Amino acid sequence: MYRLLDRITRGLASADELAELESLAAMVRDTSLCGLGQGSPNPVFSTLRYFRDEYMAHIDDHVCPAGVCKMEPREAAVAAGEGAR
Amino acid sequence: MSVLTLTIEGRDVAGQTGGTILQVARENGIAIPTLCHLQGLSDVGACRLCVVEVEGQRKLLPACVTAIDEGMKVTVNSERLTAYRRRIVELLFTERNHVCSVCVADRNCELQDLAVELGLTHFDLPLLSPQASVDATHERFGIDHNRCVLCTRCVRVCDEIEGAHTWDVMGRGTEARLITDMGIPWGDSNTCTSCGKCVQVCPTGALFEKGRSVAEARRRRPYLPYLVAHEGRTR
Ligand code: SF4
Ligand code: SF4
Ligand code: FES
Repeated sequence: MYRLLDRITRGLASADELAELESLAAMVRDTSLCGLGQGSPNPVFSTLRYFRDEYMAHIDDHVCPAGVCKMEPREAAVAAGEGAR
Repeated sequence: MSVLTLTIEGRDVAGQTGGTILQVARENGIAIPTLCHLQGLSDVGACRLCVVEVEGQRKLLPACVTAIDEGMKVTVNSERLTAYRRRIVELLFTERNHVCSVCVADRNCELQDLAVELGLTHFDLPLLSPQASVDATHERFGIDHNRCVLCTRCVRVCDEIEGAHTWDVMGRGTEARLITDMGIPWGDSNTCTSCGKCVQVCPTGALFEKGRSVAEARRRRPYLPYLVAHEGRTR
């Protein structure tokens, strides 16, 4: 999941990879033994619920609307701080 | 002990109080995929392959460690469960290095069998390709960490049946590795009795007998008749 998110924040991911991220997150949530595992994909779910358009902007338009992520091939949009995890 | 009745896959079945969903299902000829379970050893619920749906429960429950309850309605096979199980097996494959064509356990491997059963034909996830080590210091046996799925069957058989407790797991996540004694080479272990039980119960090619080449691992299961991975199978 981290790898997929990392690729998204660098503008390298495809829409398939977003679907992959969602299915992986659902599997981890549903099959885990303890609350740690069940809760670990929550950041993915909640950011997808409220900011799906921003995910899509990274993938389709190759821009980070918040100006946080360093997009890989194009040198634009460089800012301090952490990439959206 | 009283008898409880429940339905599994729409069939009315009965089991003793304290029995697990897996036990009752198998007694009734209903198959549930498993990997870390080995009848005769304690269950740890580690591999998550046996997860089933129980009506009224939001969560999926591992059949090997879930006790039956009166009136339970259990679903063993659904599209979602198969997809999750396939994904679990995919994660096991991609986390270490599994190259069946050059593996001692080729065609004698429970992980390989699961991949076939669940229709895992390709990987969507990237291979992690770790540089895991091989310990060949023991006189008769070896362990290839590249093939280990951390089912802990070897740990349990060594502790519970042989009483030696040579094996343990060290580290967490993708760093987790099996260790002998306090992390010393297997050949230097003074608790290991060289009984070979761990080698016999390993579902993959991780634990092997020296001198066996590709696809030559044969589990001598009659040697441990009280340990059953899959009823009706020879290994
Ligand atoms: S342990 Fe099993 S799945 Fe892994 S390489 Fe060997 S035969 Fe293949
Ligand atoms: S060495 Fe074999 S039996 Fe032991 S944990 Fe690894 S896969 Fe399981
Ligand atoms: S067999 Fe139940 S979790 Fe592994």
